[in-house]
Amino acid sequence: MFVEYTWLVPLIPLLCFVIVGFLGKKTPEGGGYIAITGAALSCVISALVAYEFFTSAAYHDPGFVTDQVVWFSLPGGYTLHFGYYIDSLACLMMLFASFISTLIFVYSKGYMHEQGVKKRRYYAEVSLFLTGMLGLAVSSNFMEMFVFWEIMGLCSYLLIGFWSFNHPEGDDAADNAASAAKKAFLVTRLGDVSLMAGLFVLLYTFGNLDYVGIFNPHALALADPNMIILASLLIFGGVIGKSAQFPLLDWLPDAMAGPTTVSALIHAATMVKAGVYLVARCYPLFTQDPAIMLFVALIGGITAFFAATMALNNMNIKRVLAYSTLSQLGYMFLALGAGGYLMALGFKNGDHHLVIAGAAGYTAGCLHMANHAFFKALLFLGSGSVIHAVGTEDMRLMGGLRKKMKITSAAMLLGSLSIAGFPFFSGFWSKELILETVMHAGDYGTEGYLFSILWVLGIVTAFMTAFYMFRMWYMTFGGKPRHASEHCHGESPASMTAPLLILSIFAVGFGFTILFGFDSLISIGADSTHNLVVGGGEAKGFEYFTDIFESIYTYVTVALVLIAISIAYVMYNKRAFDPAKFSGEGKSVLYTALTKRWWFPQLYNQIGWKLGYGVARGVDFVDRQIIDGTVNGLSAAVAGGGEILSKGQDGDVRSYTGVVIAGIVALFIVVLAIFWYMGGI
Amino acid sequence: MFYNLPFEVPYLLTLLLVVPLVGAILTLSMGGKREKYAKYVAGLFSGITAVLSVLLIFTEDVGVYDESYTWIETIGLKMSYILQVDGLSILMVFLTGLLVFMVTLFSSKESDKPNYFFALILAMEVGLMGVYMSADYFLFYIMWEVTLIPMYFMISWYGGPRRHYAAIKFFIYTHVASLVMLIGIFALVFQAASGGVADFSFAAVLAGSFSESFQALVFLLLFFGFAVKMPAVPFHTWLPDAHTEAPTAGSVLLAGVMLKMGSYGIIRVCLEATPDGAAHWQVLMIVVGLLAIVYGAYACIAQKDLKKMVAFSSISHMGMVMLGIACLSEIGVEWAIFQMFAHGLITAILFMVCGMAGHNIGTREIPLLGGIAGKMPVFAGFMMFGFMASLGLPSLIGFWAEFGIIFSFYEYGAANGMIWVILFCLLSLLLTAGYYLWAMQRTLFGRLTTKIDLSHIHDVNRPEAIAMGAICALIVLFGFWPDAVLGFIEPYVQGLTSSGVI
Repeated sequence: MFVEYTWLVPLIPLLCFVIVGFLGKKTPEGGGYIAITGAALSCVISALVAYEFFTSAAYHDPGFVTDQVVWFSLPGGYTLHFGYYIDSLACLMMLFASFISTLIFVYSKGYMHEQGVKKRRYYAEVSLFLTGMLGLAVSSNFMEMFVFWEIMGLCSYLLIGFWSFNHPEGDDAADNAASAAKKAFLVTRLGDVSLMAGLFVLLYTFGNLDYVGIFNPHALALADPNMIILASLLIFGGVIGKSAQFPLLDWLPDAMAGPTTVSALIHAATMVKAGVYLVARCYPLFTQDPAIMLFVALIGGITAFFAATMALNNMNIKRVLAYSTLSQLGYMFLALGAGGYLMALGFKNGDHHLVIAGAAGYTAGCLHMANHAFFKALLFLGSGSVIHAVGTEDMRLMGGLRKKMKITSAAMLLGSLSIAGFPFFSGFWSKELILETVMHAGDYGTEGYLFSILWVLGIVTAFMTAFYMFRMWYMTFGGKPRHASEHCHGESPASMTAPLLILSIFAVGFGFTILFGFDSLISIGADSTHNLVVGGGEAKGFEYFTDIFESIYTYVTVALVLIAISIAYVMYNKRAFDPAKFSGEGKSVLYTALTKRWWFPQLYNQIGWKLGYGVARGVDFVDRQIIDGTVNGLSAAVAGGGEILSKGQDGDVRSYTGVVIAGIVALFIVVLAIFWYMGGI
Repeated sequence: MFYNLPFEVPYLLTLLLVVPLVGAILTLSMGGKREKYAKYVAGLFSGITAVLSVLLIFTEDVGVYDESYTWIETIGLKMSYILQVDGLSILMVFLTGLLVFMVTLFSSKESDKPNYFFALILAMEVGLMGVYMSADYFLFYIMWEVTLIPMYFMISWYGGPRRHYAAIKFFIYTHVASLVMLIGIFALVFQAASGGVADFSFAAVLAGSFSESFQALVFLLLFFGFAVKMPAVPFHTWLPDAHTEAPTAGSVLLAGVMLKMGSYGIIRVCLEATPDGAAHWQVLMIVVGLLAIVYGAYACIAQKDLKKMVAFSSISHMGMVMLGIACLSEIGVEWAIFQMFAHGLITAILFMVCGMAGHNIGTREIPLLGGIAGKMPVFAGFMMFGFMASLGLPSLIGFWAEFGIIFSFYEYGAANGMIWVILFCLLSLLLTAGYYLWAMQRTLFGRLTTKIDLSHIHDVNRPEAIAMGAICALIVLFGFWPDAVLGFIEPYVQGLTSSGVI
């Protein structure tokens, strides 16, 4: 009885967008309460839908509930639908997206309080953002998904550019925000165009874009395998853009120009998670060939490593968190890729054990996505609380805030421990599972050795993560107070600290769900016909506990994490030695490469400038000088030519006769030519 | 179609011609002291026309409004006054009625000889309605030329600093092209003549039989005439000049409905009358379409004048229409017509916004602007909406058109084993997003400009907001409900298929 009302989940935030957008000025807090209520209602309805779905018979067979109406059809038998598709994955997405968004909206009440008339725009846009994410989660087909996907792209553009005019910190910051917003939209647009091309391939190959129509073993078996690979890679191109993976990763750090709450929303609940969701959703498609999944895993592993290096020496508290998001997203794709690789190999070789082993990667990826949503929301909101109190984002000006901001510092500590993978915190469980799957994938297939390399990258990344997170924590909260800390006006208001406390609980504890049946809800299993179904798996429960702690590699990772934390402690809390000595006073090549973000921005600018503006200038020249020049030249020639010809009217009959005869001959030739061309009439 | 009116309006199609004509004459007479009432007269008559065009789309069977009278009948020649609408023209008639009314509303501030200004708008409406409704080549051609004259005066009286150059260029360029088209029409009519009578009606020409090589030749003549109007690269240079110099109302009508005369003609004449010619020159049409798409998009990036940029974007988007038609498939033609309608709505917003930049801020030069969003929030909202709609944001009408056309082109590519050809279209999608966002960054956002005097700028006034808001609402409505438009197009395109045109 609730599942039929799934459409309310995205619709309520949409209504909030309309109401706040048109009437927000007249309501208190610029419509803030309306947005909060809407998000909370969506969360409640999601919970009811999820509860009903998990207790229904459909959960076990066929594993989803779907209903759709015809949207419109194209000639040639292509029909596009509009509807909902509820399975465990959709439930997970809408639950954590709406729950975290509600908390972020509550937090915004305190954080955005001083923004005056801009609040209306803020609450309208975040409501639309939430619509995009929830609509994406419950969509029943690729077309509908793409619509919400792009709505999210629009909202990220609007929100990153929230301060792109009348910036409270002056004109330079406004310019920066405008440029960051444009970059975010264009880079993700590059991915979106690729995704759209993927949809063309799918629509042409399958005749529809419905999940039930495409993720169907019969349809998949009939389709041209090359087209499936092409479509999968193009769709993954869209994911690379949206989830900011290598090489399109550079927009996300710039996106920090928006308000901190927006960063929390983009990084934790919406936007970048859409890419992970899409890969998880397309598992039946992507597992048709191991090469696709290998590609996913490679991109993920490389991004995880690269992004982590750039966080090592950054001085901006939000940028460090942005890089950590990229890195953690890389982990998710690594997990999904490794699991899918095993699964695809299993299908290819008819080995059911590999299929089951692959499912572990799927579960690990999704668990990490949920865990990350909680601890990253916590970390961003915590950093927002710090920025709100000290008025700067530069960590060199902070320090010693532990005593002045007790709740924030404790919450941030819990978040940092979780993301670093400290034993028993939520990040620990998912990260260990991911590394285990990657290790496992290294033993199979001809390209398996690549996974062994990825595993090494993975544990090095884990080391770096622990280091930069605690570097951040110690620079902000530990040590002695520095310039900005002295002006700190104490702990933030309750509307900001309450969400921090709630998120802390989840950041610490959500990982334990893996021991209590998370893997049965969010798993992927295949029957003999290779029909992949999300959910309904068997819970391994405490077996995970023994699995993890019997493995020698777990201790290796934990040891690395502990070493990294202690190095950070010695360097940034005790200040026993100066970090500048490592970097040659910030002049070494490696240090420069990291601060220049491996020269990615320059590369983007060069390519964009040359291929865009450079060619455009050429086209403009051709247009003005050659094409329009010819037109103007012709008209001048006609005018001038008339003058010359008028001199030919000399009144001499003989010269007139000559012209007439010449004209008749010319006409005759033209007519003959036409007859010749047409083969006679 | 979705709601069938319980009554019929007698002579509805003739009324659609006569009401604006009477309106034009009455408005013209409101000179001197009565000047300030000219806009009310024009608003009344364009409003009535708009209501009539709405009544038309709520008619289940538009065939009841067909009108046919013999007009000129001499030895061997027969010209008739035939008006009829079908799935192709009904949308254009609605668009004309709507945009003319909105433009009248939008331009209500016009104070320089408003009686002439509004009379020209209404005169243009007569010509446009006539082009879309006539089913006789003679009437069609006359109406085609009728649209030229008011537009010429609109540009040369009310235009910008280079208005005389732009007006004469517009007039000569498109007039020469339509003469070439006229030769094509004569060839069709006289070839189809039977019983010694050359009947100019569409039906008589369709009944004639033409050899393939004849069709191929005549197609080229007609295609040239229509392609210049669309406009197709490299015969497009009249358009940016005409747009830059024309007043806002002229630009909206020029881009919104006048360019569609070109694509309308290609479907109505080139495709229906010379289908074999179209098949023969399919590759040419595809090349012309792709060239316009990519060339137009690149040219936009280099523009410094907002209005010129939007003019080039029209070239790029009309290239999409050309491409859709060139696929010669049911999907392609259907979505090309959809794009004609979508582009008409979107481009109206775009030119209104650019016109406002000129009026309310004082300049349209992008390098002189910056940070305007803080001073003119409503203006910024409309501008962003228009740009987003034009770059094909899903859930707005423009996206579906692009999706359908590129998919039809993908089908064409797949059938010929070269799906990579859609890369050109994908590149243009990216470039389109690029130039619009870059333009917004430089005009609306960033630091507030200090290069111009900002003391006189003012935000959108009420009539402007109503006109633009109404069009925006339609863009959203059809974006969520494309079937409302497709419902008209589908039967027409099915008719083309069953008569073997595509």
